[in-house]
Amino acid sequence: MATGGGAYSYSLTVFSPSGKLVQIEHALAAVSQGTTSLGIKATNGIVIATEKKSSSILIDDSMIERVAVVCPNIGIVYSGMGPDFRLLVTKARKSAQAYWKIYGEYPPTKVLTQEIANIMQQATQSGGVRPYGVSLLVAGWDVTRGPTLYQVDPSGSFWAWKASAIGKNMVNAKTFLEKRYNDDISLEDAIHTALLTLKEGFEGQMTEKTIEIGVVTVPDPAELEAGKVEGTGRFKPTFRKLTEEEVRDYLSL
Amino acid sequence: MDVSFAITGKGYVILAADTTAAHSIIKVKLDEDKIKELSPHLLMAYSGEPGDTVQFAEYVERNIRLYQIRNLYPLRPSSAASWIRRSLADSLRSRKPYSVNLLLGGYDTTTHTPHLYWMDYLGTLVDVPFAAHGYGSYFALSLLDRYHDPEAPLEEGLAVLKRCIDEVTKRLVVAQPKYKVKVVDKDGVREVEL
Amino acid sequence: MSIMQYNGGSVIAMVGKDCVAIASDLRLGVQSLSISANYQKIFPITDRIYVGLPGLGTDVTTLHEQFRYRVNMYTIKEEREIEPQTFAQLVSSTLYERRFGPYFIEPVVAGMQKLPTGGFAPFIAATDLIGCLNFAKDFVVAGTASEKLFGVAEGLWEPDLEAEDLFETISQTLLNAVDRDAFSGWGAVVHVITKDKVVTRTLKGRMD
Repeated sequence: MATGGGAYSYSLTVFSPSGKLVQIEHALAAVSQGTTSLGIKATNGIVIATEKKSSSILIDDSMIERVAVVCPNIGIVYSGMGPDFRLLVTKARKSAQAYWKIYGEYPPTKVLTQEIANIMQQATQSGGVRPYGVSLLVAGWDVTRGPTLYQVDPSGSFWAWKASAIGKNMVNAKTFLEKRYNDDISLEDAIHTALLTLKEGFEGQMTEKTIEIGVVTVPDPAELEAGKVEGTGRFKPTFRKLTEEEVRDYLSL
Repeated sequence: MDVSFAITGKGYVILAADTTAAHSIIKVKLDEDKIKELSPHLLMAYSGEPGDTVQFAEYVERNIRLYQIRNLYPLRPSSAASWIRRSLADSLRSRKPYSVNLLLGGYDTTTHTPHLYWMDYLGTLVDVPFAAHGYGSYFALSLLDRYHDPEAPLEEGLAVLKRCIDEVTKRLVVAQPKYKVKVVDKDGVREVEL
Repeated sequence: MSIMQYNGGSVIAMVGKDCVAIASDLRLGVQSLSISANYQKIFPITDRIYVGLPGLGTDVTTLHEQFRYRVNMYTIKEEREIEPQTFAQLVSSTLYERRFGPYFIEPVVAGMQKLPTGGFAPFIAATDLIGCLNFAKDFVVAGTASEKLFGVAEGLWEPDLEAEDLFETISQTLLNAVDRDAFSGWGAVVHVITKDKVVTRTLKGRMD
């Protein structure tokens, strides 16, 4: 028998008599303590946004990254534990590159989301690990499904949303989004709605230094036609993070 | 120096293989059966490297039997051929490949059709109306091009097979004296005398 | 004698106007001895994609099974059919996986590629045995008669052939090229692919 437990190193995620997995409940609790993040799907794109607050003014906040680019067509944002998120981002990026190496194109949003969800699910069933303490919002564009927004939870379950919020103020934010959302909202309006929603539960000053925004833009037919047929051509990136200047401009409007 | 032939006809497949077991230039046995009965409606003639042949044929035989025990029905000829081919193809890229060439004749009881497959040690699988392995193939294939009839009754099929064997006996320097002939049709497998 | 010539066989694909064609001979032999005159080496992948696998017979079957497995898994996982371009990449990466112990096959892919705007464009590609892709705009060839196919195709092919004319062009190219190759021939099969249908014809060739 192996040293350090061996057969006794049971997974901590064991069903409770009531049929719940308590460790996953605890992971969700960790998420709901995290800063608020949200995503809104518009007719011509998607916005994902989050607050990035540092606990001390002495921290160089230019280093903090809470919205991450996974591949040119997909980005993610999280609420919960930062280190867990960074690990998942690394795995997601590797998965996207592995996909590219096989098919010569980047994965559709749903496929990448499934990959991430599978990684998170495995942490609820393997021995010697704990579930990931994050919820994710995955936003991306692909030829088959167009712009899509998914939420992934620590259990590994995922859903597609028109708009969703995760983290500390998720209940209030979702109620707010339910009131403001309509099916023919434009990307510009969605960005403003995202900022308004964040502002609801925001403590302190909302500036380009304290929030982060990522957007998915839907490419026009001419761009698509140019990129796909030749074989060597790539699509122009459809996901990008807004620069501090762009965020400042949206805030001042 | 193994020689084996196979012919399909109306509702049957005939397989024939010589009965000599040789070590180098010495004949050590003259009544060796080189056609295995894999299942009630499946025959396999094998030839090639001595040692490999029997080893591989028994491996196939036991796996085909295992399938039948597990599933309570036998593999169809096409599926059996596919499985055997995969075994040889995997073996080809292993440290020590099997050098075994096969002729697989079967009667598919679900579609009521006879099937014949030519397979070599590389894992090349071909569905054919007639086939041969060994030096005999250089004589038999051209004869069968001329005389084979896929609609021929069993008697005619056996007559054509006799032609092939006679030709090989007449023209091949290392001719084999005796052949074992087996038939598979709707009634299953059986040995026949020419 | 190279292992690529052991079983013989050739494949060609051509681009036409809103159509593509892919054709092959039907021979399988062992060196100069013919075993079969009805050996298919072109396989359907989807309703709009065909792949030709000339080369070593055992690897024709192995690779066909491998591609069928991978495309089935793709279709289930992605909930969509694979496109020719993507399939060509999959062929390439599958072959490169075996870079230092390759499958002795030089695949040819032909299909109609769905455009983001909704239309269809003809697509052909070929790779060498370790997966180096060649996206040609006119025609691609592979197999034991490839040199002859290049020559005849260079002379007969012209741009924007309609489906019927493309069929004639590819058939004449293949038949005349394999007649000069001892390892290919014994009849041929031709598939002409358009956006909503595939026409398959079997041709008789010289049987000597």
